[in-house]
Amino acid sequence: MAQYEKILLKNMEQPGYSGSLKEYEQAGGYQALKKVLKDFSPDAVIDAVKKSGLRGRGGAGFPTGVKWGFIPKDHPGPKYLCCNADESEPGTFKDRQLMERDPHQMLEGMVITCFAIGAETAYIYIRGEFRLGAQILWRALDEAKAAGYVGENLLGSGKTINIYVHQGAGAYICGEETALLESLEGKRGMPRFKPPFPATHGLYQKPTVVNNVETMANIPHIINNGAEWFASIGSPPKSTGTRVFCLSGHVKRPGNYEVPMGIPFREFIYDLGGGMRSDKPLKGFIPGGASAPFLKPEHLDVKMDFESVALAGSMLGSGGVTVMEEGTSMVWAALRLMEFFYHESCGKCTPCREGSSWLVQTLQRIWQKKGRQGDIELLEELCGNIAGRTVCAFGEAEVGPVLSTIKHWRHEYEALIQEAQVALPPNKELPVFSH
Amino acid sequence: MATTQETKPDLVTLTIDGKSARVPKGTLVIEAARQVGVMVPHFCYHPKLTPDANCRMCLVEIEKMPRLQTSCSTPVAEGMVVKSAKSDQVEAARKSVLDFILANHPLDCPVCDQGGRCDLQDFSHEYTATKSQFQELKRVFQKEYFSPLIETQMNRCVQCLRCVRYCDQVMDVKALAPVGRGTLTEIKAFGTHELDCEFCGGCVQICPVGAITSRMSMYEFRPWMLKRADSICGYCGDGCQITYQTKNNSLIEVSSTHGSGRNNGDLCARGYFGYHVSEHPERIQTPLIRQGETFQPAIWEEALEQVGQTLLAIKQQHGPDAIAGLITGRCTNEDLYVFQKFMRGVVGTNQIDSSVRYGHLNGVRALQRVQGTHRWTVSFDDIVEADVLLLVGTNVTETNPITGLKIKEAVKRKGAKLITIEALQPAVGTISNIVNLAHHHFGVRADGFQGAVLALMKSVLETRGMAEDVKASATAYGNDLMAQLSGLAWSRLENRTGYSLSDYGHAASTFCQGKKVVILVGQDVLRASGGYGMTMNLLDLLLLTGKLSNPGCGVAPLAEENNDQGAFEMGAVSDVLPGGFSIDHAESRTAVSKHWGRSIPDSSGGALPQFLERMQSGAIKALLVVGENPLGSLPPVSGIEQALEGLQLLVCQELFMTETARKAHVVLPVCSSAEKEGTFTNTEGHVQAVRKAVEPVGDGRPDWEIFSALSIIMGDSMEYGDVKEIGKEIRNVLPGIRPLGPTPIPSKPDAMVVCGYVGGEYRRDLDSRYRLIDEQPDFSDELLVSLRQSLFHSGKFSLKADGLLKVESEGKLYVHPDEAARRNIGEGDQVDLCNDRGTIRAKVGLRERIPMGMAVFPEHFDQEMRGLLSYAVDPETQVPYYKLAQARIVKV
Repeated sequence: MAQYEKILLKNMEQPGYSGSLKEYEQAGGYQALKKVLKDFSPDAVIDAVKKSGLRGRGGAGFPTGVKWGFIPKDHPGPKYLCCNADESEPGTFKDRQLMERDPHQMLEGMVITCFAIGAETAYIYIRGEFRLGAQILWRALDEAKAAGYVGENLLGSGKTINIYVHQGAGAYICGEETALLESLEGKRGMPRFKPPFPATHGLYQKPTVVNNVETMANIPHIINNGAEWFASIGSPPKSTGTRVFCLSGHVKRPGNYEVPMGIPFREFIYDLGGGMRSDKPLKGFIPGGASAPFLKPEHLDVKMDFESVALAGSMLGSGGVTVMEEGTSMVWAALRLMEFFYHESCGKCTPCREGSSWLVQTLQRIWQKKGRQGDIELLEELCGNIAGRTVCAFGEAEVGPVLSTIKHWRHEYEALIQEAQVALPPNKELPVFSH
Repeated sequence: MATTQETKPDLVTLTIDGKSARVPKGTLVIEAARQVGVMVPHFCYHPKLTPDANCRMCLVEIEKMPRLQTSCSTPVAEGMVVKSAKSDQVEAARKSVLDFILANHPLDCPVCDQGGRCDLQDFSHEYTATKSQFQELKRVFQKEYFSPLIETQMNRCVQCLRCVRYCDQVMDVKALAPVGRGTLTEIKAFGTHELDCEFCGGCVQICPVGAITSRMSMYEFRPWMLKRADSICGYCGDGCQITYQTKNNSLIEVSSTHGSGRNNGDLCARGYFGYHVSEHPERIQTPLIRQGETFQPAIWEEALEQVGQTLLAIKQQHGPDAIAGLITGRCTNEDLYVFQKFMRGVVGTNQIDSSVRYGHLNGVRALQRVQGTHRWTVSFDDIVEADVLLLVGTNVTETNPITGLKIKEAVKRKGAKLITIEALQPAVGTISNIVNLAHHHFGVRADGFQGAVLALMKSVLETRGMAEDVKASATAYGNDLMAQLSGLAWSRLENRTGYSLSDYGHAASTFCQGKKVVILVGQDVLRASGGYGMTMNLLDLLLLTGKLSNPGCGVAPLAEENNDQGAFEMGAVSDVLPGGFSIDHAESRTAVSKHWGRSIPDSSGGALPQFLERMQSGAIKALLVVGENPLGSLPPVSGIEQALEGLQLLVCQELFMTETARKAHVVLPVCSSAEKEGTFTNTEGHVQAVRKAVEPVGDGRPDWEIFSALSIIMGDSMEYGDVKEIGKEIRNVLPGIRPLGPTPIPSKPDAMVVCGYVGGEYRRDLDSRYRLIDEQPDFSDELLVSLRQSLFHSGKFSLKADGLLKVESEGKLYVHPDEAARRNIGEGDQVDLCNDRGTIRAKVGLRERIPMGMAVFPEHFDQEMRGLLSYAVDPETQVPYYKLAQARIVKV
């Protein structure tokens, strides 16, 4: 089995590493910040990140340096950095580990980012359920402030950078960047329509960068080792660096694995994950969190980078790989995911609000063997009417699992509907739907 | 259209469904489409609100854009090609959105009040197949009784959030919130209680479906049964355009239309829910003649004959000055005009007054004296466009709610800076609080405005100095005022107001940066001692900073009653002729008497306080009271009761049996403003048409008809065929008075008058205006009780409005929670208020916005409270002041 050099998980995999400031410093922590304050201009930091090819680790994979570059340089008044720690995508649990086990790594990244974009204030919007994570971050922030890494007159540079931790209240949608900003402003967490984008009209309508935890954690390493070094890892030029992939489902060794981007799914699932739990054949897998369309065994040799997965008809997304073995009902899997999306649809825009409820009811009916002829076509039509017509990307996300399971396993839907036709006299019983 | 010159915006050309549109840059595609006649269906978009793009109904195809775009949130761009009705893709998208919306909609149109004027109904007919593919169970919300006035039926809701956004963005109330997620999102009151808000009815009006409707008219009508009459609201001086909707001569509801009227479609609780007054069962139906202690119904001829003959006899025996008249500013201009013409021309006395005397006169007189016009030099549009707004004692949300909305729009939308000197503290409450929006707030007690006004003036002039042209052309004036202000020690001002030199300094620097500065002066100033002087001082402030004559700048006194301004302009004031000319001005007198063919007495007659004295002394034998209720509004200490008792003839023209009417010899029933034609002049001086919506109740007649009939009986006929004839005569006498169309053009200061003022006229009362009023002794256990208008009532009149009584049916003594806690008093406790004039009992309500040391009581419920009031008369304007009392508060 190939061994890969770890970057983000390196510290925490040392035995006894607690993530305290002292240990982080002993492992070379905050050197990047010192280097930046000494040798870098803000533009130089942005250039380095651009050159490194780092792309956002939250899901959309937008080039980080380019995003920073959108922040207007001469804007009067405050600018903000928000670290998106609202990790809620089913099957994704990497940010949690990065925050809880090595909090200073992301804090250092955030301070450098603030320096680069000219922000004096940064917020960490942390998922409400991550109570431990928030406590660890608060403690780490106290340490960092005491050591002068955060706060006023940063390491004697005269710069002020404050970081605050804000706990969410349990809504998946608040991981969407504009809903996150609304929630952070104290409003109901619902996405804004774009444009304008957060880069110009973000938090309190001020220029704002929203970055994922893992993205932030990468920044100190890019500064320490250089953009070229980072750009050489993974599968350049489009997918550089490592990623912490989350493996879950019917595998022997679920968990977080940091690997260079571009290794094949087969290696990830079978070598790192130890293969299928009960040695049944693999039936399908979600490559990048619940919003990503399913892939089939034939896709096992697809490389785990942005382009290859997109080419295979799915997306690398948040890096959460969920594996399902032979014997799993894919209708059930789609229903389960759809129930999640129905529960989390914020209700702002019509297609998502009404569509998710309609989809989940239809799937429920099919699964309960009360399906009707034409239900599959109905599902496809509904999905078509949702995707591309919603305020945020939630619309695309919720139809992914439904459309991809119909695409790959249509016969399972047909079989259930067929069974219903035999079991039920037509138009006799209405399904029972509870909210 | 603002009065100031605007730069021409850049225009953009685009094509919408093949039609070329040329619109200003920044216009939204949906608006551009409307302009070329392409109607894009929508639910969540409303021109008053910031786009939310949530309903997705307005999706259009735009060339070179990857997917369908929401036209409500996309600004136009040069060369854009938009396809709406002409795109199959768009058609399919709209159909699908409607399919989604209808999935959970109950389709209960047959029992829905919105049926017949519902966007969803209309769009469904246009876009959806008749059969839905949705065959699941519909979502059902628990029924919730939202409030006594507003009905919600959340199953019908399309979650467009227009109501929520209106409540926040326009009203600044934030009473509504979406609760729950996804399809379970419903609109509720913010918090777990019944709806508790301003009840402006905006959510009812803006709801595109039947989710929020009015309970006042539930199930009583179908929209197509309603007859409409566009008219003007009869409550406050804002002069909102309303549409009475009637069915079989019965008022069903009131509505307003976006884009029309000075209110631009917004209303307040009084306007939207207060229309039932007109149909109240207690309306007086026939003329009534006193027989001993009781009244006997009479026919008009009998009653008029008695009044006319008695007046004639008194006039012959005691001379015309034994007769006086008092009219309300709620009457139409035509009523007011005929009233004063009757009193002056037929009776032959100038002994007349109107409700404008209660305070608005202070403002109008000051304007007239300094700038030669009795009207504002700004309009509502200038308030919206202003960059600095200064509010002094306005309590604007309660007294003039729609002016309040203009201020909110200026501050929230357009970024104007707001300075407030108000007897209010910033605090969140169920009624929006204008000082919450202030950039600089000076919270003072209701008797402490003068200190803050002078301190702000002093700070402005000391930090910025006066304008160069004032320095050059009005040196003496400038120096004299500077000397007056320098004479006021900062330490005294700081002590008096509780704000420091630097607080005033910050506000002064904001004030000076303003290019378009509007100063609004409200009831708290105009109806209290020193009100006239303070309005003069504020005019001085604009003069000294060189802003008075600038377009978009001005001092704007707010009128309380709907036609206070008209009452002044029609000459229903003892010393004022129609057009606002002084009765002492012989030329004007001659001009008017030439029009009338009657002579006008030259004595100035005397104002209300004087005729109170003359009534008490027995010099006045007869009093005509038109819609006024002096016995119900003046405090006992004014001697009103004794004054009325000595009269030989007291005639009341009234809708209801008021306290004064009960003392009358003859009571004559009149028409409410929903029952007659005419015009009202609003606070900004805009003359607007009042139209008849229903037939009069009983034998009610318009007031002018009564004066006209009396003139015939008195042998000096003053006949008019209809209101139009009166209007024509008014326009002949006063060429400037006429309905002006949608937007008024504000008056300009008269340079001659301004010149005369700064040239020396100012000296007359300079010392008294700039002398700090002696401080009231401050006993720590006493409160300053201020009688004030409530948002839900207007005078005593609205106490007959069912809807408004459902919101507020009793008067409470409102105090700050800390003030109450200090005395161990809680919400709802009974307290005794006592001073040397008497003791009265009241129930306590807690409100955080009331300053410490003060208590507020709604004046509409004040019958007993009047016993405690002090009474004083302004030496300059004869305005009686009686809104304040100093009293101890004792828990029962």
